[in-house]
Amino acid sequence: MRLWVRYFRYAFANISNNRLVHVVSTGTITITLLLFSAFVLFFANIDNWVLEWGQSLSMSVYLKQGVDEKAKQKIKSVLVGIPGAKLERFVSKEQAMEELKETLGSQAGLLDGLNTNPLPASFEVAFGAPERAGIDIEKIKKKLENMPGVDEVQYSEQWLKRFEGLVSMLRIAGLVVGGLLCVAVLFIITNTIRLAIYSRRDEIEIFKLVGATDWFVKVPFLIEGSLQGVLGAVIALGVLFSTYSLLSSKTIQVFGLPLLHLVFLPKGHVIFIISLGLVLGLMASFIAIGRFFKLFYY
Amino acid sequence: MIQLFHVTKRFGANIALQDISLRIRRGEFVFISGPSGAGKTTLLRLMFGAERPSEGQILIDGINLNRIRRVKLDMLRRRIGFVFQDFKLLNRKTVFQNVALASEVLGERRSITRKKAHQILRAVGLSSKEQAYPLQLSGGEQQRVAIARAMINNPLILFADEPTGNLDPEITKEIMILFRSINLRGTTVVIATHSRDLLENTDQRIVTLNRGQIVS
Repeated sequence: MRLWVRYFRYAFANISNNRLVHVVSTGTITITLLLFSAFVLFFANIDNWVLEWGQSLSMSVYLKQGVDEKAKQKIKSVLVGIPGAKLERFVSKEQAMEELKETLGSQAGLLDGLNTNPLPASFEVAFGAPERAGIDIEKIKKKLENMPGVDEVQYSEQWLKRFEGLVSMLRIAGLVVGGLLCVAVLFIITNTIRLAIYSRRDEIEIFKLVGATDWFVKVPFLIEGSLQGVLGAVIALGVLFSTYSLLSSKTIQVFGLPLLHLVFLPKGHVIFIISLGLVLGLMASFIAIGRFFKLFYY
Repeated sequence: MIQLFHVTKRFGANIALQDISLRIRRGEFVFISGPSGAGKTTLLRLMFGAERPSEGQILIDGINLNRIRRVKLDMLRRRIGFVFQDFKLLNRKTVFQNVALASEVLGERRSITRKKAHQILRAVGLSSKEQAYPLQLSGGEQQRVAIARAMINNPLILFADEPTGNLDPEITKEIMILFRSINLRGTTVVIATHSRDLLENTDQRIVTLNRGQIVS
């Protein structure tokens, strides 16, 4: 315990004695972690948008020909009762025909030859992205199809699967780029801290001269590196949050796209980036200081 | 206290020391002399464990430096003081902090470290300069700080490499008196020097090196 108090005392004294070197190191860590955090934020938003778009699901419940009002009401009440589902509208046979004519446009005349209207009436149901989670859509489909009066149930399965594929691709790309960025950040921070330690090699030499063990010399440097890493991460997140606050209010006003609302990093990501700062600072100091010890042994 | 058996040290193709056998007894005061490049510094570095001999064995207080482990070497260095020509002080730390450092390394309580640092600084005549920084001191004073740092843990051996090389004759005399008093308290003192003045006025043992070999 006494030794740890001493380590922290040395570390803080070193920071105070070498302010400029520490400002430069912390600044470098801040910039590199800001780049990394900005990437994570960008990716988190892309992921969020894709999920929102991809997971908002629509479902059409087609009714059998000549279904009676009682059965129709029963189906409606079941649909309304599904948690997270929103009954958008009821499309009658006539409405369906009108809409088909509109879709066909100039070729709507093709439909004139029909004696009867073959299109079924349907209910259209929507599930928003947040409500989608935890709903087994296939189970609902089967349940509805077994109800009297229901002919068929369709939902945007293909669409959903394509988006899920896109999301997993984005996740892999994010991991690869994120990993590479991590290595680059470690490389930059290691070299910055190495330069900082190099400027204090006489100190290490004197400590070894008077019989200090390796850890006695290393620990204050590791504490300094960790503090720099955490401080750099906190400043980087602060800058990122300020920029985010500025952008998130303006983007919506300027482009008027409510779908593209920005989200900040979730709490877990924030803790991850601060921990990353700590680990990188610690690792960089550890790597950087290791080579200086060779000088004092045979 | 110090024993060297047929020690040779090579740096690549250059032979810095060749077949050195030497015995220094406990409490002895020895000068290692010789011209620049004779191998004096290499000899001190070998005895301090900063270099490994290419051939031969070195024993310090019965410990074979060829077989010593890193941590044991650190422990041994705590019982050895080293003084350099360029003082090797930390300019951002005060005189007191520079001296206390060697005691802190031992993990001693702050109160004990403080007491030891005050005592040793008084012994070298620097009580009034405790809060000064090295660059605010004269060369002689800086060397006395370095000696105080080397002496704070009451070492068995004190090595000094050209300790008066940067000092004028008056200050040199003061520093040599200090080394003598340290030796009288039982510490083995080994000083490497090429200063003829220092060697002419001494009755201590002198080991002379030339081109890496002991010549007298």
